[in-house]
Amino acid sequence: MSADSAGHALHAPALVGAAAPSTVWSWLTTVDHKRIGILYGVSAFAFFLLGGVEALLIRLQLAVPNNTLVSAQTYNALFTMHGTTMIFLAIMPLNAMFFNYLVPLLIGARDVAFPRLNALSYWIFLAGGLVLNASLLTGTPPDVGWFGYANLTSLHYSPGLNVDFWIFALQILGVSSVMAAINFIVTILNMRAPGMSMMRMPIFVWMILVVQFLIALAFPPITVGLLFLMFDRFFGTHFYDVAAGADLHLWQHLFWIFGHPEVYILILPAFGIVSEVLPTFARKPLFGAPVMIYSGVLIGFFGFGVWSHHMFAAGMGPVADSAFSIATMLIAIPTGVKIFNWLATLWGGSIRPTTALHFAVGLVGLFTIGGLSGVMHASPPVDLQQTDSYFVVAHLHYVLIGGSLFGLFAGIYYWWPKMTGRLLSEGLGRLSFWLMFVGFNLAFFPQHYLGALGMPRRIYTYRADEGWNAANLASTIGAFGIALAVLVFMINAWRSLRRGAPAPADPWDGRTLEWRTSSPPPPHDFDVIPPIYGRDSFWREKYGPRRGPVPGGAALAEPHGAHSGIHLPAPSHWPLLIALGMLIAAVGGLTHVALVVVGGLWTVYAVVRLALEHHRTPEHAEQTGVLGLDHRKMSMWVFLGSECFFFGTLVATYLAYKGRSVVGPAPHEIFNIPLTSLSTFDLLMSSLLMVLALAAVQRGDQKRAQLWLFGTAFFGLIFLGFQAYEFTDFVHHGFTIQRNLFGSTFFLLTGLHGTHVAIGVFWLLSLWVLALRGRLAAVDATKVEIAGLYWHFVDVVWIAIFTLVYLIP
Amino acid sequence: MSSARRAAWGAPGLALTLGGCAWDAPMSTVIARSDLARDILHVYGIITWVSVGIALVVGFGIAWVLVRFRERPGTPQIPAQVRGHTLLEIAWTIVPALILLAIAIPTIQVIFRTQPQAAPRDSLDVTVYGHQWWWEFQYPTLEVVTANELHVPVGRRVTLTLQGPDVIHSFWVPRLGGKRDVVPGRLNRITFTADTPGEYRGQCAEFCGVSHANMAMRVIVDTPDAFARWVTQQKKDPAETVGLAAEGKAIFARSACVGCHTIRGVSSGTLGPDLTTFGSRGTLAAGILPVSVDTVAAWLKNPPALKPDAKMPALGLTDAQARAVATYLIELK
Amino acid sequence: MSAEHSGEQPTVGTYLLVALVLTLVTALEVGVIYVRRLAPIIVPLLIAMSAAKFALVALFYMHLRYDSRVLTFLFVGPLILASGLAVALMTLTGAFLVFGR
Repeated sequence: MSADSAGHALHAPALVGAAAPSTVWSWLTTVDHKRIGILYGVSAFAFFLLGGVEALLIRLQLAVPNNTLVSAQTYNALFTMHGTTMIFLAIMPLNAMFFNYLVPLLIGARDVAFPRLNALSYWIFLAGGLVLNASLLTGTPPDVGWFGYANLTSLHYSPGLNVDFWIFALQILGVSSVMAAINFIVTILNMRAPGMSMMRMPIFVWMILVVQFLIALAFPPITVGLLFLMFDRFFGTHFYDVAAGADLHLWQHLFWIFGHPEVYILILPAFGIVSEVLPTFARKPLFGAPVMIYSGVLIGFFGFGVWSHHMFAAGMGPVADSAFSIATMLIAIPTGVKIFNWLATLWGGSIRPTTALHFAVGLVGLFTIGGLSGVMHASPPVDLQQTDSYFVVAHLHYVLIGGSLFGLFAGIYYWWPKMTGRLLSEGLGRLSFWLMFVGFNLAFFPQHYLGALGMPRRIYTYRADEGWNAANLASTIGAFGIALAVLVFMINAWRSLRRGAPAPADPWDGRTLEWRTSSPPPPHDFDVIPPIYGRDSFWREKYGPRRGPVPGGAALAEPHGAHSGIHLPAPSHWPLLIALGMLIAAVGGLTHVALVVVGGLWTVYAVVRLALEHHRTPEHAEQTGVLGLDHRKMSMWVFLGSECFFFGTLVATYLAYKGRSVVGPAPHEIFNIPLTSLSTFDLLMSSLLMVLALAAVQRGDQKRAQLWLFGTAFFGLIFLGFQAYEFTDFVHHGFTIQRNLFGSTFFLLTGLHGTHVAIGVFWLLSLWVLALRGRLAAVDATKVEIAGLYWHFVDVVWIAIFTLVYLIP
Repeated sequence: MSSARRAAWGAPGLALTLGGCAWDAPMSTVIARSDLARDILHVYGIITWVSVGIALVVGFGIAWVLVRFRERPGTPQIPAQVRGHTLLEIAWTIVPALILLAIAIPTIQVIFRTQPQAAPRDSLDVTVYGHQWWWEFQYPTLEVVTANELHVPVGRRVTLTLQGPDVIHSFWVPRLGGKRDVVPGRLNRITFTADTPGEYRGQCAEFCGVSHANMAMRVIVDTPDAFARWVTQQKKDPAETVGLAAEGKAIFARSACVGCHTIRGVSSGTLGPDLTTFGSRGTLAAGILPVSVDTVAAWLKNPPALKPDAKMPALGLTDAQARAVATYLIELK
Repeated sequence: MSAEHSGEQPTVGTYLLVALVLTLVTALEVGVIYVRRLAPIIVPLLIAMSAAKFALVALFYMHLRYDSRVLTFLFVGPLILASGLAVALMTLTGAFLVFGR
């Protein structure tokens, strides 16, 4: 039995997950964060190769002028699929691979807060990736660009299934991401080892935390924007219908309110990886760690305030242009601070030139270039020449490849030994690095020129006398250099897995907790929850100085006996089945509505089974974390924060479009205020009944609990009845969702709210049925509490809608 | 190792120098031929030099640190565990902020100078319609309608009002200024004064469908006399035709052409470009081909073959018919 | 069992009182839209009243007043950010016509 440098006994399994069964079924039902990480990684890499092939075809077509390798239609689909694939199916899930594998290890936990939801996120992601790429099989891949501007995406200008595939895939992927984000926020806040205060967390974990908030809050606006597009295409609404009074800028705003935080979602994990890799191989702590934390948080927060710098050519007016220009320049400050802190980390160090270090340093240099071209774009006058040209294509690839991908490769080379128990060849690794570094710069540096020489983006060919020939050819050659680098990596990986040297627990003399357990870790991650001695806890454990517990914080861990009392979450097949149901529903959306019904019902059934799977498992009753909060309660509040963005976007659109309808009726002509006042009162009273229900459950009063739970649901049904009456009445008066802009915004907003009420009613009736069967006890109070939080929130949204939609003139 | 690293830094440097030779590409953004383009280039220059400077500083910083602090047999295995330095943090927050201020000030000035709140009173007004995939230009005060080639007088303020009957496009003639989107439902404007006579190339810069790449245009900046002559020529009725051209006119008049195109005195369709003075234009199909009997005939025979998904269908003309119509169109000056 | 309550607990009486206030404010809201005199300030007035209802439900029914501050931050942070973005979106699409074009 081997031991780590601190003398702890370790396992030394030879292969990935050897301590767990390795059947296909065990992988399909796994809830182990390490296995889920590997699933993400393998799938993401496959999609990355697909996106890479799409890129090579693009570059081959552009290698010479007037080329006919692919048709215009094929080319337009290639760049759309390449962008969508690389962002959503490659970079994000490669990041997720690291989030899943490492977060519990880095914070000294054994898994994430909700292991089955974690698995569910993966399977839903896979479903989304399959939906997007199924469009290739039907010959109708999306061809409108990865940011699909309306109204090119309308049914009139894009009549085929292409855009529909795109919409469904993105919506599915959004569900996966937001669900995982909530999971990781609760995990990081509530499951840290005793003694690990927030400021003692590794910087990578901080970056991950910021990213999860960005995901949870930035996806709802694009969800709403895509819902608008879907309703326009399927149900004849007018959200992006100019003739009906719509503003085409709305799509751009909604897309980029998501799209700009998305780029920080893509890069902050890479920043976090660099902040782990550089200190390890310089043998010094990260310089200015608190500043690195604050700058990451600031970048995340201010990232919500710059989105219209993607719209400088759209004609927003000089005041808006100026405001977003200044905000964008401000964001460059915390970003630049990071670059300097990384340099200071290396300064005075004892630098070991491993492959991981090469990629991390590569990021520092290449992201500087990408960031500087970004600052150029921040100036609207200059941007008016550069945007929509190859200059911005150069910029985005410098930050996404030079930044995100180089960071990911640094992480891959760094954590490969931990995840596989094998070492990669450093020789092949460095060869791959240089091929990629040279190939990448050859591919994309000339694109700055192409942009400066006026080459627009998204053109399938160009004329021979534009002066763009040499740079395009060089760029194509560089692209194949990148491909070669990836091939070398794959060879390296294959050889390592087949017969690579076994990796010790701590091959790099690391600083953080993952190096304290075996490579790969046992299923339970740590035999004993590690003691925490400060930031870089493992380094301090090895070399000092060891800091005591944080004043006022939790005591140091008390060692359990090895394996005693460790509860590993049981595998479950419900996540796989839920994702399958969603896949069937999406296929139905593209083919026949019957499949939507089948898929929907299947999904609901599987969700209920998942929810009740551990209703009576003793270890699941108590889920309190280090902040003294229940995981489930915390997760519901995070979800409600996300819902603020969802409903906020819907309400803002309603108000933005108010008064722009070309035909009637207008709100004051059709609303029945007295009736709606009654339904509002009804919903408010239902909240009263809900708190009474919770109080009853908490004190174990079965009869009262049944009464108030049913009462709440009943009042909810009354509200829905009022709404059904209102809708029917409107339709009889000729006011439908297709009638005008007011109809579109009103019915979608209140319809979605009504859907939320209906889901709440279903939830409450389920709890009522459990209570009737004597299966809802005081120990289940938290489950009722979170249903109540959801219910009250739905009530609170109605309070806002009643005022802003019905009452305000 | 360090020499290899230097070589790697040299590769992009070489590309930089080689690429630097050819700035005068037709669509070049760094050659300014109007007040708008010059204002932009002024800010572009400042930001470029600042960026290059910072990139060089950081680049050399990285290289130096890697060489100087490389692990060596003699150096201590574990170096001093320095955690931070507050003064440094303040310094490298304030200095970039000041640099950004230096960029922001001219930026804001140019924004407001180049985007007047109201349309300038003394300008020549042109309404630009962006179609899939061609450009329509109307001069309301001069009562001239043309397509794909825009004439403007040198030294006179011009205001383009951009309108879109179908999807979003973007009007971009780099030497005359930055781009502005054509957004259906909105009126965007570009105002500029060209300062040098000549021909300037432009292209649509917002993805607008299958043939987005085939939506180019030319702007011809005329001396005041040449512009006046051009306007007169545009408003003249087409001359009488003889021979092959007359044959072509006859074919045109009895074909579906008349449903989409206007030729003064012959037809009044508005779905496609106005062809009344087609022959006075040097390019066809939105700037993607030069005008000659061969190219025009090839276009007439099968437009989607030259411009994928073009709305103009192949009309089943024989080679002879196509050449006749081409001859007719080229004579329309 | 759950240790997150900071000692004080709302009573049924508190809940009933909140329900009463919610009803009254709702009635007031509906009432003021018919009062001509208030027309110039009707929008901020209505927003203030609905914000009050929102707060009452969040603080008492959703228990934020008695729970850990962490939960308040997790919810109120996004709430404020979302509200800011909504206002920005409305401004940019000309809903307020604050900035002339």
